[in-house]
Amino acid sequence: MKNEIKKLNVVLAGQANVGKSVIFNYLTGLHQHIGNWPGKTVEKAEGTLWYKGYRIDLLDLPGIYSLSTYSIEELISREYIAFQKPDFIINVVDATHLERNLIFTLQLLEMERPMVLALNMVDLLKEKGLEIDFKKLQEILGIPVVPVVATQGKGLTKVLDKGIELVEKNIKPKPLKYGKELEERIEILISALNNLDLPYPKRWVALKLLEKDKEIEELVKNKNPEVLKKAKKLSLELEKIHGEDSSIVVAHERCSLVSQILNETVKITKPKKLSFNERLDNLTSHKIWGYPIMLAILALMFFSVFKFGNLISSLLENLTSNWQENWQAFFGTSIWSSLGWTIIESTFALISLALPYIIPFYLFLFFLEDWGYLARVAFLTDNLMHKIGIHGKGCIPLFLGFGCNVPACLSCRIMETERERFLTAFLVTFVPCSATSVVIMGLVGKFLGIGWALLLYLFAFLIILVLGKLASKILPGEPVELLMEMPDYKTPNLKTIILQTWFRLKEFIFIAGPLVIISGVIITAFNQTGFIFKIAQFLSPITVKWLGLPAIVGNLLIFGILRKELILLMLATLLGTTNFSQVLNPNQMIVLSLVSMLYIPCIATIAALKKEFGWKKSLGITIFKIAFAIIVGGIASKLLNL
Amino acid sequence: MKEFSLIHAKENEKLVVVSIMGGRMATKRLADMGLVPGTEIKVLRKAPFGPIEIEVKGTKLVLGRGLAAKVFVKYEE
Repeated sequence: MKNEIKKLNVVLAGQANVGKSVIFNYLTGLHQHIGNWPGKTVEKAEGTLWYKGYRIDLLDLPGIYSLSTYSIEELISREYIAFQKPDFIINVVDATHLERNLIFTLQLLEMERPMVLALNMVDLLKEKGLEIDFKKLQEILGIPVVPVVATQGKGLTKVLDKGIELVEKNIKPKPLKYGKELEERIEILISALNNLDLPYPKRWVALKLLEKDKEIEELVKNKNPEVLKKAKKLSLELEKIHGEDSSIVVAHERCSLVSQILNETVKITKPKKLSFNERLDNLTSHKIWGYPIMLAILALMFFSVFKFGNLISSLLENLTSNWQENWQAFFGTSIWSSLGWTIIESTFALISLALPYIIPFYLFLFFLEDWGYLARVAFLTDNLMHKIGIHGKGCIPLFLGFGCNVPACLSCRIMETERERFLTAFLVTFVPCSATSVVIMGLVGKFLGIGWALLLYLFAFLIILVLGKLASKILPGEPVELLMEMPDYKTPNLKTIILQTWFRLKEFIFIAGPLVIISGVIITAFNQTGFIFKIAQFLSPITVKWLGLPAIVGNLLIFGILRKELILLMLATLLGTTNFSQVLNPNQMIVLSLVSMLYIPCIATIAALKKEFGWKKSLGITIFKIAFAIIVGGIASKLLNL
Repeated sequence: MKEFSLIHAKENEKLVVVSIMGGRMATKRLADMGLVPGTEIKVLRKAPFGPIEIEVKGTKLVLGRGLAAKVFVKYEE
């Protein structure tokens, strides 16, 4: 027999915070690829592993709570399962929160694909005073149930074994039955659907029709409008019997079925005692103490990241300080030589941003996330975030923005809808990032005092507040209220944190790298040919007349598109000194800092916005910011010079 | 027993969900998390002017204030 490799297509499905990504990382290690679903701001994580003669392509579906069309994630997930027909599904559930998790399991069963239940965190059951009868659960659900401790890799091979067994024996699960009134109507609908060609299982379609799922209604209507009419009639009957919307009747049925299952399989062995983590939760979510603790943790994070970052980047600077001279000594100062140098310099700039700042920032952030603290931050800041038109989860991207706008824009994926994502990303671009801080501190902070610099930051917050309020009014669609699960605190998993950081870093380099290098070369070419002075001259009505700045600023602002700190670095290069007070008066310093802060997202941020929202929206934000900076800068200049 | 909105509930109170006075979207979102009429809940904590944290079926859920206002509850009998 030939040693032929058989391929399997497997998906991991489960709610948020059940340890899905821990399992994914454990199984695929570095053999993974993180990207976006085509045309969507939803992350797609795929990986490969080889097991017992199989090549298993594993897809980590987004963490979702149901298979309706409430969010893009849910739609993507159900379409993927229906159309791609994975060989089997691994449904990861949190054994300590079985009741909520099983509601989703029932829905997955209805997709009628082979499925294994990975019952994660069974090591915590004892501590929680819970006892689960695994065998009984397996009997009731009709699928293999495997106890798992994902963080230690326990039980994972058994999950794969069971899945492969299902495939080899071609066993598909049977959906569980609901109450009589609902089942009768499902039966009627299934027979009505029988001669329609549908991509989804019939029973699932019948249920979705009774749940009034818009997508499925449309689908069925196009095939046979009579069936939809029948479904409407049956829904109405259900509503008459139960006195509530038929979608709620179905949800209710699921919840009570799950309660029944729980009654038969879970025993509460001892009364709950307050654990250390619960005490910690009480303190960190406290209505008074929660806030100073949050500020302290965040301040610690910024302080240590920047301290560490400055240390490393000055080390790097010392290491490479004479590289340019060596380059010039070797290749001369021709235009080609300096273009070549630009490529090296841009690459180097990326490294000196990524290595000292972005890596520690991510490590810290993913530590806080894995530990469970970020959810507390969302809880504490929800009220404040509402004032700017988003909800508590939005504070995380905004927060990231202080480090670097690029990962911040990418992290807007945690918001629920496209509208919230775009709104949050828009606001993120107004957060002064570390490079912008270099300009503010190096100019206003150094020459006018820290008070003025803080005032500029305060002004940035005010702008975010006002623009957020306005944009949330203007953008079509309804704001989404915060609804999230509060995860229990748990011991952070180092491997998960490091892998998450690594993949995010890779993403950052892929997005930012090429654009930063290419535009660096273009701008250097402009500079070498003197073309940049023509542009600066062309801009002078704005820079000189309206903003009241020296003409040279036109050059600086063009360089600033690459990286904001270049505004200051180029100024120093052109002047041959860092005593900027020679060319700029205090008012001009304030206006220049203000304009630098507002005028454009840097090229890497534009790339990140493009990746998430497409060219149109990223150009829209860019143009808006340029116009906004010119207006605000001009007004500030006029006011200051009164 | 009279029913009232969840935002008026006090910390540590045990309540039963009576109805959800929201659009279909809000109702569906809550149902997916196991919050349907008849469910027993416990108010864990309220952030000042902010969201409310409750316990539903052994899980802690955070509801924004606007969403919590749509959830009507009563005391357990």
